[in-house]
Amino acid sequence: MNDRRIIISDPTLRDGNHAVRHELSVEQIAAYCKAADAAGVSIVEVGHGNGLGASSLQLGEARTPDHLALSTARANLTKSKLGIHVIPGFATIERDLKPALELGVDVVRVASHCTEADICERHIGFARSMGVEVWGCLMMSHMISPALLLEQARKMESYGAEGVVFMDSAGHYLPDDVRQRVELLASELSIAVGFHGHNNLGLAIANTIAAADAGATLLDACARGFGAGAGNTQIEVLVAVLERLGYSTGINLYKILDAADLAEKTLMKEVPTIKSVSVVSGMAGVFSGFMRPVTRIAQEFNLDPRDIFFELGRRKIVAGQEDIILEVAKDLALRATKGNQ
Amino acid sequence: MKLHCQDITRLDCLRVLNGRQKGLEQLRQSELVVIGGTGFVGTWIAEMVAALNDEYQFGISLSLISRSTDQFRSRLPHLANRADIKLIKSDVRQLGKFPMEADWVIHAATNPDVRTHASNPLDTASVIVDGTMSVVKTAERLSRLKKLLYLSSGLVCGAQPALVNGLAENAPGAPPPDASFMYPNAKRFAETICSAARAQSRIPVLVARPFSFIGPYQSLDTPWAQTTFLADALRGKAIRVLGDGQVVRSYLYGSDAAFWFLKIVSTGESGDVVNVGSPVGVTLQDLAKEVAKNFNPSPEIMFNTSPRNIGKSAHLLPDTTHAKNKYELSVFTPLEDAIKLTAQWHLIQSK
Repeated sequence: MNDRRIIISDPTLRDGNHAVRHELSVEQIAAYCKAADAAGVSIVEVGHGNGLGASSLQLGEARTPDHLALSTARANLTKSKLGIHVIPGFATIERDLKPALELGVDVVRVASHCTEADICERHIGFARSMGVEVWGCLMMSHMISPALLLEQARKMESYGAEGVVFMDSAGHYLPDDVRQRVELLASELSIAVGFHGHNNLGLAIANTIAAADAGATLLDACARGFGAGAGNTQIEVLVAVLERLGYSTGINLYKILDAADLAEKTLMKEVPTIKSVSVVSGMAGVFSGFMRPVTRIAQEFNLDPRDIFFELGRRKIVAGQEDIILEVAKDLALRATKGNQ
Repeated sequence: MKLHCQDITRLDCLRVLNGRQKGLEQLRQSELVVIGGTGFVGTWIAEMVAALNDEYQFGISLSLISRSTDQFRSRLPHLANRADIKLIKSDVRQLGKFPMEADWVIHAATNPDVRTHASNPLDTASVIVDGTMSVVKTAERLSRLKKLLYLSSGLVCGAQPALVNGLAENAPGAPPPDASFMYPNAKRFAETICSAARAQSRIPVLVARPFSFIGPYQSLDTPWAQTTFLADALRGKAIRVLGDGQVVRSYLYGSDAAFWFLKIVSTGESGDVVNVGSPVGVTLQDLAKEVAKNFNPSPEIMFNTSPRNIGKSAHLLPDTTHAKNKYELSVFTPLEDAIKLTAQWHLIQSK
């Protein structure tokens, strides 16, 4: 019997926004927040798919602006904490973070690409100085070795982060990869370790359980896995499995199942499935959020999206470099044309 | 009567000196230079020198060398405007304007901020290593120099073994050769530079190894346990302890530390190495409770525990037997009082 307490952070209303081109409405946010709150989810993360301040032409404009999304969520969360995803650069302290904290955000998750923890120092420091809970998130963590991941996590710890979540943004990991990283981080850091999975290879639940078994206490999961690409770790399944394994999440199983049903009915145009391109993006180690733009651009250039994914993987393209997709497609199209001549 | 921040620090110095000033007699009518003189240690030494001069007529001339003299001047006019304290703006790596009549030099220049160590390990190393090289080269030209005290770090011996009560000066460990441990490794190498300067140039240099301190002048935005607990409590928020609170540290109050450094530089022998810190350990859980006691309403204490770290009690305490036996140094301000005074100082400061 395992009596460890797990904190589940639910980014349905943030990562899920990727899946609907950031079109989540005030009504949808309110409804899901109510359901997640009733289920006892520890943290509900809300916002544009790329986080606070990221609504833009390049990354996609959010239907619901940050201040409205956060105030709506705040009004509908009584027990659950309100979390935000903050990527320095997209989110600035004065324009975005300060107003967000004034709206009652409880948990700030400051994220960077896995090799760029340095950029988080000011945002972590500011949030910490305002007395809110601060975690660091290292995205696309499969791109570096466990030792380098530890180096970056140590930076976040030194800046004042109270937890470090490493993200499998591309859905690339196998359970042993996750276990190895959690064991190293948990033994070397004095702060909590967390994991955020994606389901490109059908391993999101297995990877998240591997993380918990290795010592992670902060786990991310979304209703029906609603998230970028093939989706995230499925929260209702994770809660059930953790319950069977003897972990305590503080989440009511029936109510989280209800929340997931509600999410399927009211938030999703389609329930995330592992499409062929998702398998390829997972194999190539490319950010899951690229699925929609890659598919669209592939159609435009009459290309196989799988070729684009493998080329993006070869070039080690990361989130925020969406404009490179077009460049890659053009190159591939040009090569194809030359090959046909 | 309204109490000012400087009243607290002056009373702290007088409480520590109370009869013990006799142990500092060699400092009378001498020139003392503190490199890196506007940080926590330098500021407390300035407070102590001001108290010795005002109350015991020691007649010490103090020069504080730092890159941050402008901030010091605007933050601490009660020290900066004194006739017996001179501020010299300079980087430790280029000590152009150095008081050549110096009798005593304390080299405290470093950046103790762990955020800088993590983000900029190369600059961290440069300040420590190139800075120490620059200090010993300068010291070669000081005709009146009686002693150079280098402030190293309690971290140079690496992690404290589980079955050891406190790290002695001759503990055999060392930090791993990894970028994450640049600060202690650079400090270790700087100690080697000091040793070489003694061997090659006969510079009378000794080493103090500071552990953790607490007190006024410590910035609350540094992510150390004692500062974050105080910052949380001052904001009226819950005190959030990272880990399960079983990590053990010890804290020496600022005025105590200043007295220790002055005693060691003025009476120590060249080549000596002395731990500077409190040997009285406290778990972070108890430290949080002690901080909470000073606030009304008392803040909640929350733990953020990684299961692997439960029960992994990491100690880092100095063995101060040598400081006690040779220099008659001990903890003059118990931790309970140290926290109370620090909280009081910050409360006044925030108003």
